[in-house]
Amino acid sequence: MTSNFRAWPVVLALSIVSAPLVLMYVYLLVDTVTSTAPGSLIPYEFTLRHWTFLWTPVPGRPDIWRVALNTLVFATASSAIVLSLSSTAGYVLSRLNVPFRRFFLAGVMVLHAFPSVTLIVAIFLVLQMVGLYNSLAGVILVKAALDMPLGIWIMKGFYDTVPWEIEMAGIQDGASRFTVWRRLVLPQVRPALLALGLFAFLSGWSEFILPQVLAPDNRVQVLSVYLAGLIADDNNFDMALFKSVGVFYVVPVILLFLFFQKHLMNIYGGGTKG
Amino acid sequence: MNSSKKLGLLLITPAAIVVVMLFLVPVVLTAVFAFTNMSTSTGISGGAYQISPNALQELRDHYDMPSVAERLSQSGFAVDEPGLAALGKAGIDADIVTELRGHIGETFAARRDAERAIRNLNHRPSLREVKQISDQFNRSIMNARYDSKAALLAAVASVMPNLSGAEHQAIIAASYTGWTWTTGNFRRMASIPGTQRSLVNTMVYVAFTLTLFNIGFAMVLAITTFYMPSRAAGFFRGVWLLPRISPPVIYVLLWKWLAWDTGFLSVFLGRFGIHSRNWMLDSGTNAWVFVVLINGFVGASMGMLIFSSALQAIPRPLLYASEVDGASRWQQIWHIIMPQLRWPILFVTCYQTLSLLTSFDLILLSTNGGPGGSTEVWALATYHTALNNYAGNLEYGYGAAMALVLVVVGVFLSLAYLRLFNYRDLVAKPLIEH
Amino acid sequence: MRILLDGFTKSFGPMTVIDKMTLEIRDGEMLALLGPSGCGKSTTLFAICGIHKISAGRILFGDRDVTNVASQQRNVGVVFQSYALYPHMTVAENIAFPLEVKKLKAAEIKRQVDQMAELVHIEELMKRRPAELSGGQQQRVALARALVRKPDVLLLDEPLANLDSKLRLEMRSEIRRLQLATGITAILVTHDQVEAMSMCDRIAIMNAGEIVQIATPGEMYRNPRTEFVAGFLGNPPIAFLHGVATSGGFASVGGEAIALPASVPLPPPGSKLTLGIRPEHFGPTGNIPIRGRISFIETQGRENLYDVTLPSGSMLRSIQPLRGDVALNEEIEWSIAGDRILVFDEHGTRL
Repeated sequence: MTSNFRAWPVVLALSIVSAPLVLMYVYLLVDTVTSTAPGSLIPYEFTLRHWTFLWTPVPGRPDIWRVALNTLVFATASSAIVLSLSSTAGYVLSRLNVPFRRFFLAGVMVLHAFPSVTLIVAIFLVLQMVGLYNSLAGVILVKAALDMPLGIWIMKGFYDTVPWEIEMAGIQDGASRFTVWRRLVLPQVRPALLALGLFAFLSGWSEFILPQVLAPDNRVQVLSVYLAGLIADDNNFDMALFKSVGVFYVVPVILLFLFFQKHLMNIYGGGTKG
Repeated sequence: MNSSKKLGLLLITPAAIVVVMLFLVPVVLTAVFAFTNMSTSTGISGGAYQISPNALQELRDHYDMPSVAERLSQSGFAVDEPGLAALGKAGIDADIVTELRGHIGETFAARRDAERAIRNLNHRPSLREVKQISDQFNRSIMNARYDSKAALLAAVASVMPNLSGAEHQAIIAASYTGWTWTTGNFRRMASIPGTQRSLVNTMVYVAFTLTLFNIGFAMVLAITTFYMPSRAAGFFRGVWLLPRISPPVIYVLLWKWLAWDTGFLSVFLGRFGIHSRNWMLDSGTNAWVFVVLINGFVGASMGMLIFSSALQAIPRPLLYASEVDGASRWQQIWHIIMPQLRWPILFVTCYQTLSLLTSFDLILLSTNGGPGGSTEVWALATYHTALNNYAGNLEYGYGAAMALVLVVVGVFLSLAYLRLFNYRDLVAKPLIEH
Repeated sequence: MRILLDGFTKSFGPMTVIDKMTLEIRDGEMLALLGPSGCGKSTTLFAICGIHKISAGRILFGDRDVTNVASQQRNVGVVFQSYALYPHMTVAENIAFPLEVKKLKAAEIKRQVDQMAELVHIEELMKRRPAELSGGQQQRVALARALVRKPDVLLLDEPLANLDSKLRLEMRSEIRRLQLATGITAILVTHDQVEAMSMCDRIAIMNAGEIVQIATPGEMYRNPRTEFVAGFLGNPPIAFLHGVATSGGFASVGGEAIALPASVPLPPPGSKLTLGIRPEHFGPTGNIPIRGRISFIETQGRENLYDVTLPSGSMLRSIQPLRGDVALNEEIEWSIAGDRILVFDEHGTRL
């Protein structure tokens, strides 16, 4: 920071503390393309053998591409719902005179801090009753609903930063409130839309508890459930396979994060759960 | 109604519907289910009526009606017209039926007696026919299922015609197989030792993770990266964000790889003569260390980001001035940086307390509450009770009651949180009034 | 077009900000709404353009009652303090927006936009975005966008507040030029008396939700109706002496006695009075001599401004052409032009 204090002792100290974490992630990558003898830490050969799950399904498990597709559908659909509904509802709460606005706002605010996972028992029973248990549609809706208060809250925050004058000017120029939103306000919050969309996508991609409880069936399995099932299966212990599937699962996340780090930081820093 | 109102309602309705249906309704339903005894055995829709051994037991113990229970349990065989008619339909030889007609009105207490009498008929029915015939004359209501109260009472009346209304009600209640309303869940929660254990576990979990990592270590990360050149700072922030952005399943897998008996720790420590074992699960203490580490590594990043941005807001001249005044690094941290973090620390504490209280995915994936329930926190116990356990009998009602405790705590904490972070400013009225 | 606010009342919740105000803006006139912040001038502006609903009263554009007409249908052009240009659109798109909303044909839009760009001299900026423009250029774009739909009235909300002093001078005359060129009825909202006086045909001065006086700039300066108006207009500002009426004159709190012209109807002796004396009416020439000590000299270039502390501690200001013969702390005896003294009663009303 300032030149009066040396930086290297701090860097050194933090490097030591961070070593285990770095180690875990480095070995995650290394172990997927090498073989290591039991009792050793140094790999002895390079191999692609651990990646065969890509073309021959693991016995008793669904095809990985099918699972990946499910995950993609799950994450994309839930993030699309969150995005479209929060971008409209957030605008309403930020800018329009609707009845019960204060009530809506307080509700959204409480819900966005509210730990949604406590509701899973009730949601499980509701989905069973309405027949959406074990369907991708059901778990997509649930995921979207649980992420929505946060999304609405974030979008409202971003809409709040758009100057009122822009909107007033639009109205004076003769545009309807809808046109004002669509053509003048929405373009101002594009970065927020991108960030929220990505956030919701990553959140869906990583989600484990909801699909595990609400849609565990092979047909609708997502990667998190697939991998958890693989690991939990005592008859088939193969750490290198787990890690390869894990890398397959985590790479899109890392890529998205690297590309859109700036956008995402806004949301990760601004009070999400966990 | 003016146009902004109309547009507003139009735009907010879809979100409102989804949130109400899948968020608010579950909150309410959690409360509702908490007052039922729903479980795998009762099912979640309505039930039927069945005089099962359990029901008889209940009649004896609960309603003090041993004689009624005794009578209901007896199997009874009676030769009567409906039975004969059914035999005709079942294709039994007409001669046998005719002969049986001569025995009309006879009753037998046990199947054995009835079958002996049938075997001794002049027409000598075959073994299969004996079975068929005795079945038709079986007038016992033991184990039969009835879809309605009326059907049950009719059947009971055929055996015991002179029961009182109270006795009918007792039989109905005892034989009902579906779920019923009850406050028993809460009484049970207050009485069993598991409750206390999960409570203590939850407190240990929240207190340690929060203070050591979500606040303590997050602060260390924020302050150390603050004093670094920006490239190094960016690298370390990136590294410590990895646990947050990695999906929980894969993140926990890495810890398992570290801790399992063929994993990194075992192999590494093996070099020093320490024999390999599953470090995560071999003792309660170790399990706790890992649970706190696993959750803490994820939790630290939120504090890190929030504290870092608070530190970025410190005016540079303030730091220069303190250095000109001869402050050491520790003095600078204590007098300039720490006061800046007071509010963010409060924010993170509030937020993380709430989410730690209710999050259980990382524990579920790593120790699954083990070894022997020593890391079973409240939220995980709820999950195990209602959604997933080895015994296979999922107690939805009791699980909902446990979840309700968390819901209530959650509502209270989020309301407090709302008060703390000036809600008023956030609900300023729209400036355009039309 | 003539604009009439008739008994206009505005409340926010239980608080009434403006109570039964009546104001007429003549066709083709440029009127300034002048007042300190919080006096209700922006509220009045928002009521005229329809952003606020009014609580009572009527608003007429010509003969058309627009009280309950939405902003979109009022045909009002507004230039906001921040200009409120749409950041994601180019200059050309910004100016075209009001016409696009009207669903005009593309060729027609282009023709009108070009015409407007020429009028405000921004032809070479059309492809830029607002972030790439200077403050003065943004202002011109905002004017073009407000004027392009040929509004019945142009509202300017503190249009010069965000400009540096040199640009402010330039845009002052530019806005007036455009207003005269288009002949549009305009309302300028400002807290800066210089802007109001230099740009407008008439000034409506507001205080605490009321219009205190409406007059031409010169009339208002010479003949303020209240102490507030006298204090608000004039740079350097007017100096006030507080005291009581005597028979035929005034005695300040500190004891100075000043004879007042017979034309001023004085209240009974002993009533509280305030005298307002403009800096240009206190100097070497005048008919009411008064002694004091020079406590501050501010050189303004062409002129000097002197603060003169009277023996009682009260203070008068004098503005005079440069002179080198007086120094700080020097005792002087200068005179007040007695017929120019403004006399106010205890409620601040001019006598």
